[in-house]
Amino acid sequence: MIEVVLNDRLGKKVKVKCNEDDTVGDLKKLVAAQTGTRAEKIRIQKWYNIYKNHITLKDYEIHDGMGLELYYN
Amino acid sequence: MANRTDPLAKNIRGTNPQNLVEKIVRTKIYQHTFWKEQCFGLTAETLVDKAMELDHLGGTFGGNRKPTPFLCLILKMLQIQPEKEIVVEFIKNDDYKYVRILGAFYLRLTGTDVDVYRYLEPLYNDYRKVRQKLSDGRFSLTHVDEVIEELLNKDYSCDIAMPRLKKRWTLEQNGLLEPRKSVLEDDFEEEEEKEENEGIADKSEDEKDHHRKSPERERERDSDRRRDSHRHRDRDYDRDYDMDRDYDRERGRGRERDRERDRDHYRERDRDRERGRDRERDRRDRARRRSRSRSRDRKRNETDDVRDRDEPKKKKEKKMREDGTDHPDPEIAEQNRLRASLGMKPLKM
Repeated sequence: MIEVVLNDRLGKKVKVKCNEDDTVGDLKKLVAAQTGTRAEKIRIQKWYNIYKNHITLKDYEIHDGMGLELYYN
Repeated sequence: MANRTDPLAKNIRGTNPQNLVEKIVRTKIYQHTFWKEQCFGLTAETLVDKAMELDHLGGTFGGNRKPTPFLCLILKMLQIQPEKEIVVEFIKNDDYKYVRILGAFYLRLTGTDVDVYRYLEPLYNDYRKVRQKLSDGRFSLTHVDEVIEELLNKDYSCDIAMPRLKKRWTLEQNGLLEPRKSVLEDDFEEEEEKEENEGIADKSEDEKDHHRKSPERERERDSDRRRDSHRHRDRDYDRDYDMDRDYDRERGRGRERDRERDRDHYRERDRDRERGRDRERDRRDRARRRSRSRSRDRKRNETDDVRDRDEPKKKKEKKMREDGTDHPDPEIAEQNRLRASLGMKPLKM
């Protein structure tokens, strides 16, 4: 189980607990449940790399405590 | 200037009608070439021509969320706010299905609840195929009535959040709407009459089916099975039938079964223990053991007995649930509950 931090630099900072083999799409669903936005509207980035929904966190090498950028579609 | 709402337009739901589309999606539409080139200076009449050229519906797609022409035209309609008669004409026209869906979508966004139900429900009878663009850019097949169902029942479609619609039965109770009459109602009535006429003949078979499908039946002995095989043809091996038990007891076979049970040696140990307990569970355990002994080792059977004996002692220990929702740490239990509701596996500790 890892915990990732998502920050949208406008006041929303959420910490989400998830498994390493969860996909980015699953992570978006968890974030949506915590923030109240829709999962389809969320975009997770790291600098200019937009993370795709079907790839797991392990494949993107997202580790425990890592910070991701939260944007909206 | 081109993006401002018509100054004569009314407020919809208390706000500028264009605000029905969210800011980010709206910005994407304004920046799109279709909007800039084709939707500039459109009026209600020229909008019809553009609508006739539509060949798919959808919201935004792709990595940078490009809007579809359908979505651009929706925003244009919100901007110019055509009259209700025009929108109804869009819906009533039969030739162009995308024009119909465009009108229906606009009405769902801007119309009153009664109007929405009144004008959209007849569209349930339209089964034509339509092409829908999904958010990853692929096309999918859907039908006009499926689209209407989505509009009426869900609160989000084509990347636009739908305004709240009152439930149909609320409006019926207030007398504003009549109860829904389906076009297939006449066909259903005909079928029901046919079934009633045929149903009387099939009644006895149905009863058997009813017993067969009931899940709480007890297990049955092989001998009874053999004896009663003429009565039940395709039986499940593990099920017992109350019907059979009663039938047997009536015929005096019940006592025979008890005697036979006593005779089996590996049951004597458990007999005293089990006398005071739930008979159904006993029979189930016994039958399980019985059926197992027939196909497997005696040894295995004895370990089962030992397990069964310890089972009641451990009854008070709680069984940990598979999806981890009863984890001792409340935070993790809560997370697992959320994950279970979303259809994901529990957290791996």
